[in-house]
Amino acid sequence: MVPALIRPDSWNLPLFLHVLGATLTFGATATVALLGFAGQRGDPDRAVWLRGLAFWVGLVVLVPAFIVMRGTALWILDKEFPGGHNEPGWVGVGFFVTEPGALLVIVMMVLAWFTRSPKSRSAVAVPWLASILLVALAVAWFAMSAKPGG
Amino acid sequence: MSLYQWLLFFHVTGVFFLIGGIVIAGILNLAAIVKDRRPSEVAALYTLIRFAVPLIGAGLLLTLVIGLWLVHNVGYGYGQTWIVAAIVLWVVGSALGNIDGKYQRQTGELAQRLAAEGDAPSPELRARLLNPLAIVISYASGLTAFAILGLMIWKPGA
Repeated sequence: MVPALIRPDSWNLPLFLHVLGATLTFGATATVALLGFAGQRGDPDRAVWLRGLAFWVGLVVLVPAFIVMRGTALWILDKEFPGGHNEPGWVGVGFFVTEPGALLVIVMMVLAWFTRSPKSRSAVAVPWLASILLVALAVAWFAMSAKPGG
Repeated sequence: MSLYQWLLFFHVTGVFFLIGGIVIAGILNLAAIVKDRRPSEVAALYTLIRFAVPLIGAGLLLTLVIGLWLVHNVGYGYGQTWIVAAIVLWVVGSALGNIDGKYQRQTGELAQRLAAEGDAPSPELRARLLNPLAIVISYASGLTAFAILGLMIWKPGA
């Protein structure tokens, strides 16, 4: 049996918002991937419409959710490890995922904007980039939840 | 890694699957509702919603089974307020989600039939999509998952 883990009440709100942001990011990324893959086949007008939806989902849901996830991560980090002292390895995994992850989201959004044109050749990249982000998020939630080595 | 660490990982994985699936279904459902779309467009969105169903199912299973195992492993009491409240919300959310799932499946089938019959705008389809009771049930089932997440973090009465 493991003793019940107690954390200060002041950590609860940032932790809730962090997990909420992370799960919304996961769902929104998966939706972008689904719409992006569906937008590569069938009727060209339908495909462009689905790719346009992928862009809007990315812009309206994924980007804000990613910002909430990352912003609240810094908030709770500041409470749990003030001044960045004695940060365990699993915290570093979070940075390792979200910093390139932010770049990935930006590239994905730019490409998704261009895929709204019927002649765009970048349409194939968007759902694959979203899939890479999904895998990276899974690595991060493993590190954040299991906290291996720490 | 200890058993506790593995249990927590699989429990959190269940949370990601459950809320992720709800978000996918919610976004695609909203995309079908916000504009007066042709039946073929609604059918395309509802076809994609089906990918969220196994994710939600796996999430429901993992959150409950691993969650109960964690209660035992950590040494919380099964009668604690936040655990009882979470289980009640889980049951209510699952029941509402089941009702919503059947309704959505029928709406998707109607959209596919209308798309095959000429793809003309249909008041019947629009009425189903904008049915206030169905919308309330759908979003209430999703909100229970967020409420459970809040209970897991604040643990009132622990």
